[in-house]
Amino acid sequence: MADSFYKSLDVGKDVVSTRTLLHEAIPLTGTIVSGTYGTNNIKNYAHGMFQSVYDYPYLSSSANHIFDITVGVGAKSSLTPVTQLSKKLNIYNQMAQVLVGYDATGSVLQFDEDGDILAGGDKIDNAIFLNFSRLLTKDEIKKGTFQLDLGVHPAYTEDGSVFNSRLRITDASGSTGYLVNSPVGDYGILYATASAGTDVLALNQSYPVGLLYYQAGVAVLSSSIFNDVALGGILNNSFGHVLMNGPSSTSEGINQVLTGSAITGSADNLRTRMYNLQFNNTVELNSSIYFCRVNHNEFNYSTNPTYLSESKIRVKTQASDQPVSYITTVGLYGDNNELYATAKLSEPLKKSSDTEFTIRVRLDY
Amino acid sequence: MAIFKFSEDDLFTNTIEAYPQYSFYTQSGSIYINNRPNVPGINSANSLDVPVGYISLYEYNIDRPANNYIYPFLIKDGMRTSFKTITGSAFNSLQFESVITSSYRMSASISRNFYNSATRPFVSALQNVFNYYSYLSPHYQYSSSFGDKATQTVNLISIPSILYGSSIKKGTVNLKFYMSGTLIGELQDRNYNGELVQVGPVGSTGSGSVAGVVLYNEGFVALTGSWSLNPDTIDYDISDSSKWIYFNYGANDGKSQSLTSLSSSFLMEYSGTTHIQTMTMFAHARYSQLNYSNNPTFISSSTAQAYASGSLKYYETPKEIKNIVYSDFVDEKPEFKKVTYISKVAIYDKDKNLIGIAKVATPVRKTEENQYTFKLKLDI
Repeated sequence: MADSFYKSLDVGKDVVSTRTLLHEAIPLTGTIVSGTYGTNNIKNYAHGMFQSVYDYPYLSSSANHIFDITVGVGAKSSLTPVTQLSKKLNIYNQMAQVLVGYDATGSVLQFDEDGDILAGGDKIDNAIFLNFSRLLTKDEIKKGTFQLDLGVHPAYTEDGSVFNSRLRITDASGSTGYLVNSPVGDYGILYATASAGTDVLALNQSYPVGLLYYQAGVAVLSSSIFNDVALGGILNNSFGHVLMNGPSSTSEGINQVLTGSAITGSADNLRTRMYNLQFNNTVELNSSIYFCRVNHNEFNYSTNPTYLSESKIRVKTQASDQPVSYITTVGLYGDNNELYATAKLSEPLKKSSDTEFTIRVRLDY
Repeated sequence: MAIFKFSEDDLFTNTIEAYPQYSFYTQSGSIYINNRPNVPGINSANSLDVPVGYISLYEYNIDRPANNYIYPFLIKDGMRTSFKTITGSAFNSLQFESVITSSYRMSASISRNFYNSATRPFVSALQNVFNYYSYLSPHYQYSSSFGDKATQTVNLISIPSILYGSSIKKGTVNLKFYMSGTLIGELQDRNYNGELVQVGPVGSTGSGSVAGVVLYNEGFVALTGSWSLNPDTIDYDISDSSKWIYFNYGANDGKSQSLTSLSSSFLMEYSGTTHIQTMTMFAHARYSQLNYSNNPTFISSSTAQAYASGSLKYYETPKEIKNIVYSDFVDEKPEFKKVTYISKVAIYDKDKNLIGIAKVATPVRKTEENQYTFKLKLDI
């Protein structure tokens, strides 16, 4: 290779930049989240502001962080927390500042149920936040693939029967109907439908119950998913609201949990109601493609020492024979002829004066 | 926020060369990497979801239920991008817009190949490599007075590059042969030239002899020593006394020894070589610089912003910077000094795109009388 034949690439014709979307399917079953390892994969902190969920007991070096759960209560909420009031308020405000932004007066905007902030409409005052790990969301959550199944059977039990009635929360219109008026990128509306049980929802329709921020990897859920219509939620009044392990008993609703329980207690209640969670993610792979064109009258000789035998070209038996070479490697050089990269062919390519090739070299970065 | 340009003396790119140590203990067909026992999971025999005795490349699917794995996929399009595991014919048979899937459950471990017949593809494929390293030692020669690797019994141990990095560090290879827990042979590349010389136990048969060679860059250990280390005959590839050609018997070669009788075990240790490029950046906060903040709390809240406007003017009254200088006296206002607290250093590219943020553990107090240099290190 010492005296390789350099051929300049025409940047306009021979070099093209492309982008490939690579996806990953991320299934997170409820059993990992709420039972397989007891609470060994659930990490609570002294500050008590959120709870981390791992896919394996977190003391193991093999454990991967999956997501964090926390709750926030907005300043305009009808609920007044008595436990961790300032933390719940601060969390709501911090998440809203980052994900929704400010209005013209500099005030923090609230999470809007349909994303149309200017039009007003219903706001999410009491929010449950799922912050997914960057390891899982990568560049972004793939639009239209988010699915969260929550057990909403009203009675509080620990035998799995809470999953007899379920809601399915999806970003149903995410692939086409996503919104862009957030400081952190695209987001979609999360809709809830009944997926198991009878007379779960007040009306046979899908309800907007949250927002999913695709690039940030944050799901914002309204507490209305656990309340019946009488309490401002979406569940059928005859079905009743969901009973949880509250500050005083196991027959309290999400409102009592948000006001009286610590944030970690609220996270426990949500986590043990998670039947299944799955989404796909997207990674953008940027590539440059170099079309290395080998004309018929080029690269038919080699500077390899083995090309010569007794000062004669080894592949020619007669003077009139056409020269032949075998292309094994393409070297990419910089402006000053410094070797940047080499591309190897899986097998040598026979090159003679009656053949032409275009070797497509792809460089991912 | 002030933006400064790094000067030539503020940026350094270095390479850190590290030598991670590895050990492989093999007994009765089981391999223990770095003395780590197999940890069974609730859903799988090995919590890493790879075969026992292997390392997981991604450690992504930890103890997951069957059919519940994280896996990559892409959609077939005109770019014809695919995974390496998909054959060309399989790819061509797929329709455009088809989903092409792969797996993250990739694993690696050492393996052993025992050759005592003429057919020895792995050894013959390395003929040129063996001959190339003969400048280090004549024992590398494929065929020499020390033996002909085409015909002699060869025990070839293969080490994947993920388990050593760029190369195996010379002088770190150590092989120990145990019989029922008693050391009966030890090899070291003590001359740093790839020769595996028997160094122990002291006075043992074959002490000082070369039992094989190491291909440092390629990750192979080729053992040819065929002298008896122990007179007891047990089951190896053939029923025989213990020799170096049986070293690592059971290491992913599909064989194992029963533990109910006299048995052997093996320990292989070495250090790999890895290179990590790091960029070091020095960000300076000099005297009389960075003493102002855009943070709203920098301004005293007690002075409301007043303005006056008319047909020819718009005038804002100056804002007062909050005086946070400490005073021991509550009834006396200390002399004003500009004080800021530096909490982050942001790195921008030439187009002023934010490309990185370095945070300090606790905010650093900055006045006009002191200066700091923040050392930022980035693995690249």
